[in-house]
Amino acid sequence: MGNQKLYKGSLQTIILQLLASNEKMYGYEITQKVKELTKGELNITEGALYPALHKLEADGLLDVEVANVGNRLRKYYKLTENGSKETANKVSEMQEFLRTMQHLVNPKFSLE
Amino acid sequence: MKLTQTHIENLYEFTRKHFVYHYDVQTELVDHLANDIEEIWLENPHLSFEDARDKSFKKFGIFGFMDVIEAKQKQMNKRYWNIQLRFVKEWFTMPKLLTTILIFFGIYSLLQIKYSEFYIIGALLIAVLFEMMYLYKDRKAQKQKAEKKEKIFLLEEIIGQTKGGVVSIGFVNIFNSVRFTKIEFSSLESHWLILIAFCTTVLIILFYVTSYVIPSKSKELLQETYPEYKMVKNV
Repeated sequence: MGNQKLYKGSLQTIILQLLASNEKMYGYEITQKVKELTKGELNITEGALYPALHKLEADGLLDVEVANVGNRLRKYYKLTENGSKETANKVSEMQEFLRTMQHLVNPKFSLE
Repeated sequence: MKLTQTHIENLYEFTRKHFVYHYDVQTELVDHLANDIEEIWLENPHLSFEDARDKSFKKFGIFGFMDVIEAKQKQMNKRYWNIQLRFVKEWFTMPKLLTTILIFFGIYSLLQIKYSEFYIIGALLIAVLFEMMYLYKDRKAQKQKAEKKEKIFLLEEIIGQTKGGVVSIGFVNIFNSVRFTKIEFSSLESHWLILIAFCTTVLIILFYVTSYVIPSKSKELLQETYPEYKMVKNV
């Protein structure tokens, strides 16, 4: 498992990007999907995921939907119109960040 | 293996024991724990429900559900603030704007009367007494709900609490500042009177909105906020 601290600042971008490609997801599904996509490298903790989801909801980037699944209720998150715009911004910010980091840590073998 | 209804009820009780008192927050956590327990059982089918539940809970870290509760509280406070703004704004557009102007001029004229501060203290005292009465009734109803273990939503509680909080703190503060500064309003220059009258008007509207308008519309507001509200309250 990599250094989780390095991923911490990117949690919101990860959530938004996942929702952009999956329409709607519930909390547990997000943690499992991240684990699957990163082959266990990134493990989003429960204590970090829900506060991040609630913050994004408060900022008007996410909308919620509730469905009855068998014997319990499930809360799904999906992007609002603003959320979709913000995803694009955050992803390009992230790419810019990755390029900068690449220059810094590996100046000889730049991607460009 | 899938969780039964009894397991789900046990999980609701478990979240309550870990200081999650609101149904909306509980529901999300219960679904999360339930999914995780079912996943744990796939790997280790012989584990008891309680052990699997505790194993899942440990993943929330040493603070348990605290971070989740805190974030939810912040989100709901923000939502409540936006609701307040929405209703207060109504008083600055027609037709309610006329009432606002009337209140403003009423206060402005009152301030120019000699010894107006005593009238203000008197009016505030009466208002505080009425508020205390309402507050007492409200708290009693809330307590009964909690005792009956009724499903209380976070926004529902914020609506009730803010009603008591804003009104009592606001009134007591105004009461004290009028009482102790010993300002004779009638001797102040008119631009000060306009400012005081404007601030008081906004405060009165805010009191009215948080104490009467929002509580009277709480059902609609809760339905708008929680998609599950209709499902669980059967309204």
